[in-house]
Amino acid sequence: MSDPAVRVRDLVKTFEVTKKAPGLSGALKGLFRAERGTLTAVDRVSFELVRGEMVGYIGPNGAGKSTTIKMLTGILTPTSGEVSCLGFVPWRERRAYARSIGVVFGQRTQLWWDIAVVESFQLLREIYGVSGADYERRMKVFDDLLEIGRLLSQPVRKLSLGERMRCDLAASLLHEPPLLFLDEPTIGLDVVAKANVRAFLKEANRRLSTTVILTTHDLDDIEELCERVVLIDHGQVLWDGSLRGLRDEHLPEARIRFDLPQPPPGDPQDLVIGPWTAGRLSPGRYLLAVDKREASSADVIREIVRGLPVLDLAVSEPDIEEVVSRIYRENAALRKPDAPPPSEGAAPGFVSHRGVRRG
Amino acid sequence: MTALAAAARPYLAFARTSFLNILAYRARYFVGVLTYFFNATVWYYIWRALFHEKGEGATLGGFTFPQMLTYVATGWALRSFYFNEVDRDIASQVREGRLAMTLVKPVDVQAMTLSQALGESAFRLVLFTLPIGLLLVVVYPVLPPASPAALALYLLSGLLSALLVGAINFCVGLVAIRTTSILGVLRAKYLVLEVLSGLLVPVAFFPEPVRKVLVWLPFLHMNDTPGRIWLGLATGADAARALGLQAAWVVALLLLGRLLWKATARRIEVQGG
Repeated sequence: MSDPAVRVRDLVKTFEVTKKAPGLSGALKGLFRAERGTLTAVDRVSFELVRGEMVGYIGPNGAGKSTTIKMLTGILTPTSGEVSCLGFVPWRERRAYARSIGVVFGQRTQLWWDIAVVESFQLLREIYGVSGADYERRMKVFDDLLEIGRLLSQPVRKLSLGERMRCDLAASLLHEPPLLFLDEPTIGLDVVAKANVRAFLKEANRRLSTTVILTTHDLDDIEELCERVVLIDHGQVLWDGSLRGLRDEHLPEARIRFDLPQPPPGDPQDLVIGPWTAGRLSPGRYLLAVDKREASSADVIREIVRGLPVLDLAVSEPDIEEVVSRIYRENAALRKPDAPPPSEGAAPGFVSHRGVRRG
Repeated sequence: MTALAAAARPYLAFARTSFLNILAYRARYFVGVLTYFFNATVWYYIWRALFHEKGEGATLGGFTFPQMLTYVATGWALRSFYFNEVDRDIASQVREGRLAMTLVKPVDVQAMTLSQALGESAFRLVLFTLPIGLLLVVVYPVLPPASPAALALYLLSGLLSALLVGAINFCVGLVAIRTTSILGVLRAKYLVLEVLSGLLVPVAFFPEPVRKVLVWLPFLHMNDTPGRIWLGLATGADAARALGLQAAWVVALLLLGRLLWKATARRIEVQGG
């Protein structure tokens, strides 16, 4: 295996914050002596990325995602820790390093607002010194994959969000950077626009072996694009591994929904089937959740159909949104100082917020 | 040389893009032509009244009335060329965190900002300064430049004024970020610059002690220096010395801007803007 494209070790970023006491007296007190505090936004984060890898960097609001990205792109200097991206220390060699990266902040645009999109591309071409031939060829590819050709003559302010994002993505790849940072690239986009963006990213990653770090709240982005996720909360890495592994570890549940021709006598709330209990969803419809570590869904289904006249049956897994939101909740509960520690039984597969499990 | 040309290309592109960007707002500029004309007109009548009081052929502060009118006209025409809002721009970019988009690009922020200011000035020259100049010359008895050399030196001095204003505004913007009211600082700046540059009142009218201080400050090089060159009040060695000082101030303020930017960049890097 070659050198990692990105190596992050024990990265820490703390911010100085002024604490303000509430009310008028607090405001007055603050005039004379402001109480200072520190906020740890990123807390000993470590990970490595191999060249060509596409990693999802996820976490709830305020988890430290953007702060990490800002340090990796050289905008922010860490409090401590080491980062090496493509052999650069980002914040120390900002301008030289900037030639090798592409950055998309979904909430902002790098295009000039009031002039035709193509003028921004011309400017970027000069900034990165892209040759005329390369420019023509790449613009053709962008048009093929993102259909931006007809947008080029329009000012950015007239574009829809999806159109603007397609242009921004193309702009970030005009110089074919080996490393690409995407911060919420699908925010606010409709289904079609999202699909376009994802297909484009997949293609760029495949064709140019671009290493991609993607932060997003949309876990479908991750499911479709990333083999691997790094999940952080309160500045700490809670999980680094595959999405499937994350699900298996935290919510290893199979959900079996079945319909009976008519409600059993008494229309009971619970149906006991062997060692399991199915809950009633509506008259005649039941749901049985099974811990996959204890039994396979096949065994459970056999047991259900053996004793009941089942009409229809469906098996599903908790979707990734649910898994992740459970992790956030559990982590929040753990961090409350006076809260009792969640018991093993109540929270299967709970991740200690100190150690990182890899899957 | 080729390396230098390659390094300059992105900044030429910034100037060009800035030019195009303003072109998108050209309607706003047609009104601006009239604003400048009115400003010059107001001063024309004020000075005419003052000179009228003194009688035919009188001088004020060493200026005859036609000279005074010309000083005012060349001053306002020049202001229409060198004016920019680099200060407000850089300050709001830092405040709103928009500068992040620039910081991830391989560009020098000061050079980029000044290129954009010059691109704006190029636009202003065509759509602003030339029509205003023409209008003033047609309507009022503005004196022609004292000599062909005076015209050439005036143009050079005007270009230096634009650089000077760009350099000053970059510094002012970075200082304004540190205060709670960016707009307040900028408003104060306009007042100070318009008075001290000689735009409102020729520097020759200031009391001796004030003038003694002013020659050691950069501001009079914005208007007074080019104005005096046009009128032939500074020629030969005097003109050369004035231009040299003007250029020295440009360099000094660019260096000051770099220092301020370093400090600002460090704050952004540590506090995130």
